[in-house]
Amino acid sequence: MEEGKRNSAHGVFAHLERLEAEAREIAVKEEKMKQEEEKQARLKARVRELSLQRDMLLAKVRLQKKRLREKRAMSDPAKSSARAVLEWKIKNIKGMLQISYLTGISGKQTKQGVCFCISTAYESTYLDSYYVHLLVKPEVQIYQHSVPTFIPLEEIAKKYLQTDIGRFLSVLSDHLNAYAGRKYQADQLQEHFSDQIEGTVQRNSLCNLLVFNYKVSSKSKTFPFNVRLLYGDLCCSLPTEVNVSCTPDAPASLAEMAAAHSDLFRRVALHKAFRSFSSAEESVDGAP
Amino acid sequence: MDNSICQVYEDEIQSLEEEIKLLTEKYEDSQQESTFFSDEEILMAIKSFQRESERRESLSDLIAQLESLETDLSFLKKFTGIQFTSHFKKTVEKTTNRTVRKHRLSGNCYSLSFQLEFQLLEMQNKENVSAVVTDLGIIMESGEDADMSKFVSSTEEHGNLLRFFRSLSSYAEWYEHRRCTFLHFKGKYPDIVTLPEGLLGDYIILRNPKHSGFELMIVWKIHIDEEGRTTPVLDLLTKVPQQVLEQNMATIENAPACFRSMLLLFGIETALENLIKVVGLEK
Repeated sequence: MEEGKRNSAHGVFAHLERLEAEAREIAVKEEKMKQEEEKQARLKARVRELSLQRDMLLAKVRLQKKRLREKRAMSDPAKSSARAVLEWKIKNIKGMLQISYLTGISGKQTKQGVCFCISTAYESTYLDSYYVHLLVKPEVQIYQHSVPTFIPLEEIAKKYLQTDIGRFLSVLSDHLNAYAGRKYQADQLQEHFSDQIEGTVQRNSLCNLLVFNYKVSSKSKTFPFNVRLLYGDLCCSLPTEVNVSCTPDAPASLAEMAAAHSDLFRRVALHKAFRSFSSAEESVDGAP
Repeated sequence: MDNSICQVYEDEIQSLEEEIKLLTEKYEDSQQESTFFSDEEILMAIKSFQRESERRESLSDLIAQLESLETDLSFLKKFTGIQFTSHFKKTVEKTTNRTVRKHRLSGNCYSLSFQLEFQLLEMQNKENVSAVVTDLGIIMESGEDADMSKFVSSTEEHGNLLRFFRSLSSYAEWYEHRRCTFLHFKGKYPDIVTLPEGLLGDYIILRNPKHSGFELMIVWKIHIDEEGRTTPVLDLLTKVPQQVLEQNMATIENAPACFRSMLLLFGIETALENLIKVVGLEK
């Protein structure tokens, strides 16, 4: 009797478990279906959104093609609207004026006189631009400028401003470009080779005197070389005087290397010289 | 089954995204395209404006704006000698702080014409915008000049566009100066001065019509090194009949050196003038 009760109770529990499992399965299926439906709805909405975006773009492109055909039709002056021709000419000249800074000297006439913009660059990189606003009446004189104080602007102006503005701008541009070149080299050195330099590069505002200690090998714990670079020609971004010496505790074998470095610094930009040190070290390391 | 429906949607999304990408590129490209009009068309347009009286006010503003811009352009030409004649740009890549544009630029500097193609990468930093020139290609009219070819190659290699313009300006100025000098002396002494290669050649010949067989050739080269430094180099070559050569050997041999000294003392124009006067003497 007892056993029969136990069996029937067991049967009920088993049945309940089965029902629970089925309910769970149904719930999971429903959840899965719900997720599938949501995913489908999401994807459907995305398709709608993208279709709309595509149709808008397609319309824009078609409209543009139509405009382009009209523009091309303008090459026949009889067909072209006078306004459109002028607007295109204006747009074209504006584009040319916008890139005129690439030539190094650009400018614009103002109510007071003329405002020149002198661009500087080092090789392919355009750097800072400087402005000189000149008054032309009663005589040519500098009204405003953004040229750094250490550039001998007054001296250049005294020499050329009254007689030849073109020459004045050219000489000023030479000074500014040489300064920009020296500064750029020192900045590049500090930025890319800081692990080979002890502390920071000491330099004056004109960047025509640089002093620093450096090492060639990344393995070296000390900085055996001391260099002093003097740029005697202020219109040049290569040094006129180079002094590379070894620190007192450096091995004698480095003296020869110092002489080679001295020659390299005279001929090659500072950061490029250091790049060649690095590649030389790599080739030595890579040798079998 | 449901999976396959989702897959269909996903495939459609992918194809739409690709289509949108292509259309966006197409749209941006055609947006960059610029049309160039000849001066003749502009003049015709301006004439037709005067007939459109009802819109005269806004059109006259456009004319004024165009004239002002053209003044700015010719003002720049006055100081650099450089004049752009056509410009085309196309955006290759654009993000929040960097833009890459491809430029095609034609122009001339005095009598020399050039065509440039390059990419300009403009980066917006905290303080300012810096630009880097890449893929620079230069076509020069005076391509057969070996010096100029070397300079152009060096410029292309380093992407040094600013140096190109500065040096071209100086080189073309000398080129123009030589042309004007040759023209001046040809006009002033037509019987003595001959230009075998015309005004754009690099030499002139001086001969006295009354003394046949005696000729002086003045060669005026304009050198440009790889760094873009421009230097005029003048030389004197003599062609003298044999009997005259025997009588005045020392004088004729010293002539080129004397000419170089004269150049240093008096400058190009005066040295040439003196030489022409000597050649033109009766005796």
